[in-house]
Amino acid sequence: MARALAATPAPTVEKLGGSSNARSRRIVDRIATALLWTAASLVVFLLLLFIGFEFVKGASTISWHFLTGSPTAAEAGGGVGPLIFNSFYILILTLIFTVPIAVCSGMYLQEYAAGGRFKDVVQFSAESLATVPSIVMGLFGLLVFVTAFHWHFTALGGALTLTLLNLPAMMRVTQEALAGVPGTYREASMGLGATKWQTVLKVILPSAIGPLTTGVVLVSGRIFGETAALIYTAGASVSYGRGAYDFNPFHTAETLAVGLYQVHREALVPDVDRIANGSALVLLVMVLVFNVVARVVGRQLTVRFTGKA
Amino acid sequence: MVGVRAGKAHRDERIALVVLMSCSGIFVVAIALILGFLAFNGTELFWGDRYSLFSFLFSSDWDALNGHFGAAAFIAGSLVATGLAILIGGPLGVAIGVFFSELAPKRVASAFKPAIELLVGIPSVVYGWLGLTLLVPAIATTFHLPDGDSLLAAGIVLSIMILPTVISLSEDALRVVPVSLREGSAALGATRWETITRVLLPSASSGLAVAVILGVARAIGETLAVQLVLGNAAIFPTSLLQPAAALTSEIVMDMGDAPDGSGFKHALFSMALLLLLIAMGLILLIRFALRRRT
Amino acid sequence: MSRSSRLAVLLLGAGCFVPSLAFADTSVSAAGSTALQPLVQAAADAYQQSHSDIKISVTGGGSRTGLSLVSSKSVDLGDSDIQAPPGSDALVDHKVAVIGFSVIVNPAAGVTGLTKKQIQDVFNLKVKNWKDVGGKDQVITVINRPASSGTRAVFIKTIMGGATSLPPTLTEDATGTVVQKVAQTPGAVSYAAFSGTHNASGVIELAIDGAAATEPNVQDGKYPFWSYEHIYTNGPPSKEISRFLAFLETARAIMGKTGYILVGDMKVSENDR
Repeated sequence: MARALAATPAPTVEKLGGSSNARSRRIVDRIATALLWTAASLVVFLLLLFIGFEFVKGASTISWHFLTGSPTAAEAGGGVGPLIFNSFYILILTLIFTVPIAVCSGMYLQEYAAGGRFKDVVQFSAESLATVPSIVMGLFGLLVFVTAFHWHFTALGGALTLTLLNLPAMMRVTQEALAGVPGTYREASMGLGATKWQTVLKVILPSAIGPLTTGVVLVSGRIFGETAALIYTAGASVSYGRGAYDFNPFHTAETLAVGLYQVHREALVPDVDRIANGSALVLLVMVLVFNVVARVVGRQLTVRFTGKA
Repeated sequence: MVGVRAGKAHRDERIALVVLMSCSGIFVVAIALILGFLAFNGTELFWGDRYSLFSFLFSSDWDALNGHFGAAAFIAGSLVATGLAILIGGPLGVAIGVFFSELAPKRVASAFKPAIELLVGIPSVVYGWLGLTLLVPAIATTFHLPDGDSLLAAGIVLSIMILPTVISLSEDALRVVPVSLREGSAALGATRWETITRVLLPSASSGLAVAVILGVARAIGETLAVQLVLGNAAIFPTSLLQPAAALTSEIVMDMGDAPDGSGFKHALFSMALLLLLIAMGLILLIRFALRRRT
Repeated sequence: MSRSSRLAVLLLGAGCFVPSLAFADTSVSAAGSTALQPLVQAAADAYQQSHSDIKISVTGGGSRTGLSLVSSKSVDLGDSDIQAPPGSDALVDHKVAVIGFSVIVNPAAGVTGLTKKQIQDVFNLKVKNWKDVGGKDQVITVINRPASSGTRAVFIKTIMGGATSLPPTLTEDATGTVVQKVAQTPGAVSYAAFSGTHNASGVIELAIDGAAATEPNVQDGKYPFWSYEHIYTNGPPSKEISRFLAFLETARAIMGKTGYILVGDMKVSENDR
């Protein structure tokens, strides 16, 4: 690169503006720039229009009753309270399993494994696991948790299925967060006589906690909207009456996303559109909240633990 | 270090290593179990029911209740819809990623990033229902068809669904390219477009490939949105404007009701196994090709 | 493996099976037909309001899922549109309701009623345009239910003369999607339960052989497109379940609201068709 720089004669104004080759290159550049601006503006405009459209459609549905009330079987005026509860319940249950496993594996692959067969096998397994389509994972959950274990449709079955689905993403998040920690930290810690584990636990992990949290919360947003893997594992209905807000992990747990899928199918209640639009809006808002919280909390934690702004 | 505390630290070290390695091992166990279960249930059609693998893969005679399990129509439908989605969404997504990374003013780019990420989280049913109520009738009127359910509709819906992912990851990939490369290229007299096409895109190619790979993964595994706009007609596709069928939608529609232990149910598991193998195969192939190049 | 870790694995394994035992007698679970689900859910809702000691959970999953789950005792009640296959001797059949189905068309078709033979020709793709069966000049777009669907099985049995297979067409698996598609696609035709079609806007319920798609016509046996809804129990039902089923079978107000017919009101039975 340096030699190329040295060999090129210093560009003169005359040379740049003068030759027809340069002019046509600049025209190409301008056309391309204009095209990109147009394409991007169009697509972004359409996508934002789409979000705005969803917001407007669903806005009139949102009320305290909608957010906390129970769904009805055949009458208008049902709510999605138990569904929202189930969404969070399954999310938290999933995170309880996913985060420790993924963080530990990420730590191992990033900090410990020097190379060698075990690391390659694990990396390959993680990449393969990431390619499993969500419906196929749902079928696996059906085979194992619903049928083989005889649990039938349970929140726990859904959570375990989602764990398998999101482990690769969570591990990637961990690896990136850990990779972002400067090597000097490790060297300094080891230089002070700490063992590897002490270094990882007390120096590296806290430094990485910002990006790690951001990643975890972003993945949570995706978990919140998952549908296909849950239909045949956590089920598509809620218990009625007292059973609706159930902390028993073995209860059938229809989440908000699955409920949205169901309400279009059943079409029994007269206000299907209202409930569907409202559910979609709540999902949208939750994803937005997750995204915002992820960045804000991540940044705060980074400042806290590393002093970086 | 010496003494008792050193001993404890060493023991902690060993315990930690065991725990971390076990967690990593879970990945291996998980994928092995998934492949195992699906292989076991997915090959029952061929071992137990003695249905011909060749017919399953290449015949489009699908009459499940009467023992005909030619799945070619579904396989072709899935592949074409995914291919279309990548053809539309891939270049478009990368182009917009380029836009945000290179052309847009910094403030605009960082304002749009959360909006793009928001779109990733929208559940597929929302896209699917919009596709059903808006896109399908639009295709019907534009092309003078009795019904707009088609591979084109599925391809468009899928490309819209993968756009945010591809845009976001392309932008990230381009951002990591060192500034020195950009400066060097400019110093050599390259226009911005030339810098982008001849310097940045090649050097970010592995990151861009990851973007496309994740797009492919999402498209081929997408179930609910596809089901609402593809028509699910078990006919081998001969045109983009005809209704077709996909592996994912067929599985989700019939898995609940297919009789246990029937050839039908076994065929559905074979479809699931096939879907898994295609998804894994495509993605690992791209990754492998990449690793070879760099 | 050490003794303690073997014990841990054993406990973990046993723990996976405990839940199905522990939570079985204080609650009732139902699963299966999505056509029957609204009725069972509505009845469960009402029943639990007056009986606070029982908890009923209702899921869908399809008729055959319901049958297999109740056969393996994973649920207490298996809801089904179809009769259990021969060999399910342990299952006890309770015919809890009658459900009517209609053949729905898009208004652009220009028909309000067809004969059974005409419907057969349409779904066998022998007729391609509505004008050939007395309607307007509009291409016919057939939408079926999936091969495994209980609704489709009833359609084949009562309207298609028990045909062994139908030519492949557009397929959708849910009432809501089917109604939406028929409403927005000129010339579309499909079939769905009364509960989804009676109050649907933008579709026309066809009269079959001159009989309109109404509950009285089903009760009198004039309208052929109906079936029993079954709830199967594994063995004779417990006292609580019997009480709930009795409640369900006579819940006239709930049935009326959800589009079902009381078995008691039927003047004909399955064998008369």
